[in-house]
Amino acid sequence: MASSPNRRGVSWLRKELPGLVSNGTITAETARALERHYETSASGSRNFGFALLAIVGSALVAAGVVLLVAHNWDEFSRPLRSVIAFLPLVSAQLLSAFVLRCRYKSKAWCESAAIFNVAGIGTAISLVSQTYQIHGSLAQFVVVWLLLSLPLVYLMRTTLGAIAYLAGAIWWLFLREGWARSADPLLFWFLLALVVPFFGMLFRRDRSSHETTGLAIVLAAAAAIALGFTAAYTKTNLGVLAFAGFFAAIYICGIEFFPPRHPERLHPLALLGAVAIGAMTIVLTFEEIWLLARDATRPDSLRQMIGVLIELSFPIAALALAAWSFARRKMQFSVLAAAFPLVVGIGWLIAIQCHTRSDEGTQAPCATTASILLNVYALGLGVELIARGMRAGSPARANFGLLIIAGLGLARFFDSDLSFVARAIGFIVIGLGFLLTNLFLFKRRRSA
Amino acid sequence: MKKLRLVVFAFVALAQISVPAAMIWQRQRTLREGRVWKLRTAPVDPVDALRGRYLTLRFAAEDFARSEPMPIAPKAYVTLRNEADGFAVVDQISADRIGGDNVVQVERFGFFDNKAHVYFNFDEFWVTEANALAAEKAYANYSTRENQDTYVTVRIRDGDAAIEELYIAGQPLREFLRTQPAP
Repeated sequence: MASSPNRRGVSWLRKELPGLVSNGTITAETARALERHYETSASGSRNFGFALLAIVGSALVAAGVVLLVAHNWDEFSRPLRSVIAFLPLVSAQLLSAFVLRCRYKSKAWCESAAIFNVAGIGTAISLVSQTYQIHGSLAQFVVVWLLLSLPLVYLMRTTLGAIAYLAGAIWWLFLREGWARSADPLLFWFLLALVVPFFGMLFRRDRSSHETTGLAIVLAAAAAIALGFTAAYTKTNLGVLAFAGFFAAIYICGIEFFPPRHPERLHPLALLGAVAIGAMTIVLTFEEIWLLARDATRPDSLRQMIGVLIELSFPIAALALAAWSFARRKMQFSVLAAAFPLVVGIGWLIAIQCHTRSDEGTQAPCATTASILLNVYALGLGVELIARGMRAGSPARANFGLLIIAGLGLARFFDSDLSFVARAIGFIVIGLGFLLTNLFLFKRRRSA
Repeated sequence: MKKLRLVVFAFVALAQISVPAAMIWQRQRTLREGRVWKLRTAPVDPVDALRGRYLTLRFAAEDFARSEPMPIAPKAYVTLRNEADGFAVVDQISADRIGGDNVVQVERFGFFDNKAHVYFNFDEFWVTEANALAAEKAYANYSTRENQDTYVTVRIRDGDAAIEELYIAGQPLREFLRTQPAP
């Protein structure tokens, strides 16, 4: 699918068309076809602008309604307040029914009606709670609100609604602490799973659209936050492995399933995955990270087991994806970046060898070995990315590889006992590497 | 397809309406049929950005003497009984679910030095935005050691507890604030 055209470019092209027709470069029919094509694109862009304004307007009105509710109308009788509680919801539902019947093709109508409806649900539950002094935690309220709002995402095909739903689910994650003793983050994964089919629909319709990209990034961010909570809940020290698998899976998915808009650039999802892998690699080169938490336990309940399975599913998925691409001989990603969960898994197995002795002092040899492994990996990853960047003539990729090596150098600058001379030489070599690689790449570009 | 969408939406709309409607229906039953209990209180006033303002209530009955440790369970059930002064106190605590118009479910509880503490789940009292500050002040003034004259009436029906009214100096909160406005 073509990206939205540059308006200046289109206006220039329009001015050129009569000249091109008169000098015989293109036929009058072609000129008319071009005019028609860009007219449609321009109207599409206007529609998007209208949708955006409608969304902002509806969101403001909805926020106003919620604030009015927060005012607490104590002056009215209970029955009257109950009727008032349902008014915004029922009117939003009537609007939604009208949109589904008559304005289903308009994005602006669908998004606005969905926002009103979501606000209506929150308003009704809040007002009834206030009126009847009904108690419950905010976390419970948010879950009910989310579940009642979710069908609107599918019915109205609202991507913004899906993003808001995910934001609500993350909000629940932070609220759940005070809910009850047994509160665990597993419900989040259920809530996340409920919106995945919608993402699948969007992906099938147009995987390169801004909407799909936006929702993919929000889904990934939400899952990353929840993974942190899940790792904290299971207390099994598997967090590093889970995150390594998660970032590798995001990176591979970004490259394999989302075509970049520009051949030299990575899709934003792949870019985020790559940056996360680079940053996490540097973090894992520190020895202290591998001193595993001593209060870690074996999962002793079914819910903790489910948490562990969720954690392990990401490295397994990442490796399966990499193997699948390898089998198809269509591998476009960095082999070492895809192998990140495998390397972290080996590091984890090394670190866990000393963990059973439950004393931090005895953990040190294993932690050192694991961190050396990650240092070697970081160096290898940096070199591979530089090589890939140079082969593809991509300064960004090569510089990212250099950045990883520089990060590694900087990390060791702080925690190693190397002499100042050795450190200085290290930095000079990295600096020269930056200069020479860029010089080579830009020269090659110019000659091309 | 359009028809199917509308039919599905009709069910969704019904579900959206039924949740607050069910809340009203259950609470109305409790307020109509539940047994009335009087509980002495103590004040706090946090702000809940989404749901207006409320007073957070603590009750004198939440602390009580007990000789044996509390049950080990995520939630428990306490039964109430009336003292000679007409105010309710905790009588028994049980980890097993029990029914009745004197039963309150508690999710958090503790035990130390032969004293037990539970948290009743009806711990919020909504007040108007304009009255919140005055209500808190009045509440604080009338629930000191020297001047203890605040309580709530709660209706309980088969474990469902609904706060009916907050009383300060013997008057419902709104009436009290009307007759004695904040300085």
